[in-house]
Order: sequence, then structure tokens, then C-alpha cells
Amino acid sequence: MRRMLATPAGVLGALIVGAVLLAAQFAPWIAPYDPDALAVLDRFAGLSRAHLLGTDQLGRDLYSRLLHGATVAMGVSLTSIAIAALSGTALGILAASVPAAWERLILVAFDIIASFPSIVLALAVVAVFGPSNAHLVGIVAVTLVPQFGRVARAQVLTLRAAPFLEAERILGASPLRIMWSHVLPNIAGPLIVLASMEVPVVITIEAGLSFIGLGVRPPLASWGTLIYDGYSYLSDSTLPVLVASLALAAATLGFTLFGEALRDAVDPRAGRG
Amino acid sequence: MTPAAELRGVGVTFPSGVGALSNVSLGLPAGAVTGLVGESGSGKTTLCRVLMGLQAASSGTVLFGGEPLPALLARGRLAFRRQAQMLLQDAAGSLSPRMTLRRLLAEPAAIHGLPRKEAWARTEGLMRRLGLSPDLLDKYPHQVSGGQARRVAVARALVLRPALLVADEPTAGLDVSVQGELLNLLLDLQAELGLTLLVCSHNLPVIRRITTETVVMYLGEVVEHGPTAALFTSPAHPYTAALLSTRPGAPGRITLHGEVPSPVHPPAGCRFHTRCPQAQTRCTTEHPELRQAAGQTVRCHYPLVGDPAPQEMA
Amino acid sequence: MTALLRITGLHLDARTPRGTAHILRGIDLDVGQGRIVGVVGESGSGKSTLALALLRLLPGNVTRLDGQAVMDGTDLLALPDAAMGAWRGSRIAMIFQDPATALNPLFTIGTHLRDVLRRRQPGLSRAALRTQAEAALRRVEIADPAARLRAYPHELSGGMRQRVMIAMALLAQPTLLLADEPTTALDATVEAGIIGLFRGLRADLGGAILFISHDLALVADLCDDIAVLYGGLVVETGPAPAVTTDPAHPYTAALLACAIEDGGSGRLPSIPGDVPDPVTEPPGCIFAPRCPLVEARCRAEPQPLRPVSPGRAAACWKAA
Repeated sequence: MRRMLATPAGVLGALIVGAVLLAAQFAPWIAPYDPDALAVLDRFAGLSRAHLLGTDQLGRDLYSRLLHGATVAMGVSLTSIAIAALSGTALGILAASVPAAWERLILVAFDIIASFPSIVLALAVVAVFGPSNAHLVGIVAVTLVPQFGRVARAQVLTLRAAPFLEAERILGASPLRIMWSHVLPNIAGPLIVLASMEVPVVITIEAGLSFIGLGVRPPLASWGTLIYDGYSYLSDSTLPVLVASLALAAATLGFTLFGEALRDAVDPRAGRG
Repeated sequence: MTPAAELRGVGVTFPSGVGALSNVSLGLPAGAVTGLVGESGSGKTTLCRVLMGLQAASSGTVLFGGEPLPALLARGRLAFRRQAQMLLQDAAGSLSPRMTLRRLLAEPAAIHGLPRKEAWARTEGLMRRLGLSPDLLDKYPHQVSGGQARRVAVARALVLRPALLVADEPTAGLDVSVQGELLNLLLDLQAELGLTLLVCSHNLPVIRRITTETVVMYLGEVVEHGPTAALFTSPAHPYTAALLSTRPGAPGRITLHGEVPSPVHPPAGCRFHTRCPQAQTRCTTEHPELRQAAGQTVRCHYPLVGDPAPQEMA
Repeated sequence: MTALLRITGLHLDARTPRGTAHILRGIDLDVGQGRIVGVVGESGSGKSTLALALLRLLPGNVTRLDGQAVMDGTDLLALPDAAMGAWRGSRIAMIFQDPATALNPLFTIGTHLRDVLRRRQPGLSRAALRTQAEAALRRVEIADPAARLRAYPHELSGGMRQRVMIAMALLAQPTLLLADEPTTALDATVEAGIIGLFRGLRADLGGAILFISHDLALVADLCDDIAVLYGGLVVETGPAPAVTTDPAHPYTAALLACAIEDGGSGRLPSIPGDVPDPVTEPPGCIFAPRCPLVEARCRAEPQPLRPVSPGRAAACWKAA
């Protein structure tokens, strides 16, 4: 943790991440307005004390909607990444442990998933099952599984020759114990870094899907829908689009910086002489 | 008397076709210290792994106290592991990097379900004997010296009170000034616990000093086996003689020509004939068997002591 | 006897997470023309760092490099980087410990040798390069040199790769050859052959060889002079036979006593305690915490290297 805060980038990333997480968690309490409250007479208001970031086409307070958008972004990304990380890691460990034929099967499955653009998958799922937040999370999770799987598998393969695993076998540790106490802690590092680097990716995917209407349904405030709304009424006011886009950009940047600082801190080779 | 552990005609061939061990027969006398000498490609590491049940033998049998290993393992993997332990060559590498020494030292007892208090008391006793200070307990393996890591490995192996301990290069990587201390401790513990100790090492003076019997291996075969003192003063096999002559200051340095042949295609006849200073025609075609020569067991047609092998009937 | 290389007051500090590590605490060493000088030390003695410092191949966390290393009238430590680059490989060469990683896996042995030759003699024809490369391989007793020239490093054994390194050193004809534990990674029977080659090198090179090792017995056997390093300092120097039969410094004596005797019995000897932590700066003698002859004076006064008899020096007031 100390090493992460050693660079300005790391500090900045940590600050932004902290801010987004706080916003996401406490949005209902710190948002001055109900994000869905209409005040059509007040539409397209500029920056003011009453509306810190103005209002949108229906007079809804943008600041409040932005905060709730953080909740959506974090909810979707953290849930889907958690699902993908757990299942992907399990599959990756499995791939490294089973005979070659099964391993090939798993890797081919990874490749198939990886070759699908998430948008196309989202369209297909929505067409068949109808839109919903759960589907969104599911789609994103599935598209991320191959990445976690491959990293987990590579880590386990690297570890296979490590003397301490053999030492544990000699002491009599069962394969399960070896996996849980010795393999997992030693492969966790890169996986955690991967998870944090995926957050900005997922936020963007979610925003993108919401933008084209395949994500969260209105009136739920996602940054994607905010951008869409703002974009639709660009001629009336540039403020909503700007505000929402900046929020998305800042969050993405913050998480990327955080992830990179985490990666540098975790990798024992980085930063050593 | 039944040897503590025994290999009978053990061969190991890897799936790739490389033969690591060929017809190895060897018995470890109970409670004694036996030395295993060999260079790279000799198969000594594979032998240790077969003994520990980490590597399956392609042929032959492995016995512990007269019982075949597969039966012992089937009866209880854990029970066998309590009987036979091994010190790996890379001591620091044998300690799981993300665990504190405290957890690492408590682990053997946890794995085997030994009563915690009693086992920890024993561990603390071992730590005292090995000179491991308690303030090392909260450190991680990469934070302690090579010598300390080695002692931790010894403590972990011995807390289970095994009957057999295989030490793979116990002095590798240790400074000369601390080797003696570690070996003294190992020998003290061996005597107290009545351990059967197999020491693999290329450090010949150590082998000479601490073992009662020595086994010399070359390219997957045992080439000589006998009481240490006799083996060192009058080696029977030319390879042993050459190896012993490499010690600086040893009289009559014998330089072997050529490189160690690849284990994939061992030479025909005697495997050592390509480098042997006294190879003769018979050595290139006829593979010598192990036989007795002046109290040593040797695999050579023309051993340096005793009589040459009798000619086979044409 | 003229000193080919004279090192005085070589200090090297490096920055580590735990503080400043004093890796070399003031090395004084003379390397005579035409001699093989053995530098013996255990872990923490700084022996490998010494070699790298002479070549100025140091990691980025070095904070201090003081002192002089004068060879042929030039201070190696003061040379500008460009000039140092020209000296490396031609006037000073090094043979590394790990033959597996010292050769570039992408190039054949022939390419390695030709590169060395071209630096020394830029105008040679391809045929001449090949002949000289083959001759060099033959000199290091590699059979079938023509075929070996076409081989890649991974196709050779460790011992053969080390011979190739020595061949490269021969072709470079350096004034000073540094060998950092060249046989530690090799089997005993292979090591014996390589050591034999080193003996021949002394005659071929005409300059001097600095042979770094932890193996006192090996160094005693091969080298003309010995310098014993401990905790970043030279604690004893002198002709090899004299130092090993009649050591002047208690550390040398203790180290020699640790050699396991044939036919000995009883407890194996060792030196109690640990090597000094590079981050500390002890006020007195660097060996005081572990010295069997230690007295109050030893802990208070640092012990410089002082002459004990003609050609011998030791860093101990009791030795003089």
C-alpha cells in the first residue's frame, strides 16, 4: 500500500477511486435531489448553487444523477468482475491441472468467448431474454472470464516447478491444501491487479451498452444513459453531455492509474535496482 | 538386519524416453548415515525422489522396512509421510513465500493433525537446538538468510519424527564458515532420533567425514558402493578415483576427457568407457554388472582393487 | 614486481530499502603483472561487486563509488563512460559465473567469437576470422571446433560454454581478466579441466588474472597471490602458499580451520555468528564480533591493512 502511494499517479488514482466508491456507496444520502425527480420548468439549468452541475432535459439534477450513476457503474463492474474472477480463476486452475485434452477444451472455450464482441453478445441476450440489469452483469462477466482464466492458468503453470510446492507434498499436504494455502495466495497478486485494471473497462462497457439502450433502463441513472440523454439534446445544452462524459473519463482514468500503481506495487521486480 | 529403506532393481524412464535410473539396487542401513555421490546426470536426484514416493519407478521395487512402497502409500499417505522426510536442495525455495515462519513451522503438525500444543513445544525445542531465534517467527522466507532457511526446513522435517531423512545437498549455498555448524546439528539430531540419513552431496570432504557408507552414481547407475573410509582411500571404480582426485591438493589429479554423455543415449557397454582413462575393448561392448571386489561393490570389468571381472563364456 | 592494477580506497555504497548498504568499505589491492590473484570471500564480502566495480557495470542504486583503480596509468573508476565502453572486452574482460546466461542464446558460438575478434582486429577476412576462432576453441580443448562454431549456446553443456567464454577471453587478449566464480556452477570433474585451462591462460595472456571464488582450497591451488575479503574489506593479502599455511589474520585462520579434514573426527569447525550487515558501520575491526582473539582494542579501533612481512599484509594489529 505504501508503495502505491509513492507516485503522484498512484495518489491521484487512489483519490479518484476513493471518491467514486464513496459516491457509489452513499449516493442516496449525499445526493441533494431524488435523481428521478422531474422539474421540467428548470430544464437545462446552468451551474448554480441549487444545481451544482445543472439539470438535464427533464429538469433532473445532474449532480444527483451522476452520483447514482456511480452506484450503477460500481455495482455492475464490481459484481461482474467478482463473478468473472471467481469463475475464471477456477477454470484457469482447472486448465492447468487437468490432462492436456481437457485443457485444450477449456482454452478453446476461452477463445470462443474472447472472439465475441460484448455488444453483439448483449444484443443477442437482450433479443432473446429482454433487457435487465442482471443480464448486463451476466454478459460482462462472461466476456471477462477468459482473461482471468488465462492469467490464472499461466500463474499456476509458472508455479508448478516451485520447490515449495514439492516440499509441501513431501510433508504430506493434500492437493486441496496445497491449492488453497499455497497456490492461491501466490497467484492472487496478478489476478487482483487484473481485476482492478478491468474496472475501467467494465465501466466503459456498461456505459456503452446503456448508451445504445441495451444496458440499464431509463429512468435509472447510468453514466451511459446520461451521456445519451445529453447527446440527444446537444443543441439545447452542452452541459449535460460534458458533465457526464467528464465523470466517465475521470473515473476510468482514476481506476486505470490505481490499477497500474497496484501492479507496480505487487510486482516484486518493478522498482527494484 | 532389514535395511530401513531399500531399492531393488529400480529403473526410471521418463515418458520422453530419457532413462534416469537403470537397475539401481541399494539398501540404507537403519540408523546410519549413507552418502550418495554423483554429478549432474547421475540420477541421484531421481533416486531421492523415488525413495520419497514422488516419482514412480518404471521397474523394480522400493521397500521401507521390508514393505513395498505402493502398499504403504495405499495404506495411508500421511502415515508414510511421517516416516520419510526430505530436505530439498533449495532450502529458501522450499518455504512457501507468503507464509510467515511461524505458520511454516506449525504446518507439519497441522497437516498431520498432531495435538497443537505438544507439537509446538517440540518445534520450539528444535528451534532452540538449531539456533533459530523466536524473533524470526514473524519474518517471511525471503527476509532470512540461506542458513536460517535451511534450519527452518530441518525443523519442519524433524518435528514429525521421521525414521528416514534424505538431505539433498545440505551444504549447497552455505558459506564454509557456517556449514560445520549445520552439519553438527544435523548429526546430533540424527544420533538422538536414531534417524537413517541419506546425504546427497558433491562435497566430497563432507561425505567422507559424516558417512559410514558411500554410493557413487554415474549416468543412472550405481558404479561403486562400500564403506566410506575404504572407498575414499582406495576407490575401486575409475570414476570414483577421478572424482576423488578433483579435490584440490589431492595427489595425482586424474583429468577426465570429454563431456558427460547425454542420458538419452548412454554409451554402449560400460557407460563410463567414453571418459575412462583405462577403458579397454571389452568395456566398449560388454556392460559390467555389480560385483564384489576387495570388500567394495563395483561395476567395472577392471576395477582398481581386487581382480578383473571373469570373462563371459564366448 | 610492478603492479598491473593498483586499487586504493575503493568504497561502494548502495541504496536499499533498509538504508545505505556499505558493500565495499575501502578496498586496497595490488594485482601483479603476470600473476593470478585469488580473491576469496564468503557471502557479503563484496567480491563480486568488486569485479563489477572495476568494469563499472553497476546497478542503478549505487550511491557512492570512491577510490582509485589504476591500470596502465589510467584510473578505471574515473574513465568517462564512452572510454570505459572501449576498454571493456578489449583491455578488461570478464568470465561470469553462470555459463547458461553469459552467452546470447540467439547467436552461434562462431558469432560470439568473431565479434570478439573483430573488435581486436577490425580488418580480418572471414576466412581468417574462422581460422582464429577454430584455433581458440582448440586451445580450450573443445573437440571438433568447426562444428562447434555453428552450434548455439543451448546445445553445449555448462562446461563447454565456460570453455567458450575462456576462448573469448583468449581472443580478446585483455590486460586484465576477471573471473567471477567461473567453476562454481560446474561439476567437479568438469571443474578440474577448466582450472587446468586457467593455468595455461596465465602464460597466454601476459597480463593478470583476478580469480574470484568462495573456495579457499581451490584458490590456494591455482593462484599465485591471495586476497581475503570480509565484509567489504581486504583482511589479508600475500602469496597463496604462505597465506594458506601460515595465515596472519584470524579470519583467514578460522576459514582455513573450517576446511573439513580427511580422517578428522569430532565436531566440524565453524565460525559462530553471522557476516556483518552491510547497513551497519561498526566502529572497530570488521571481524571483531566473531573473532576468537578479540580484545577491547579491536572493537574500538578500525584495523587498516598493514604490512606483516615482505609481500604480506593483514588487517589486524595482532598480526604485525
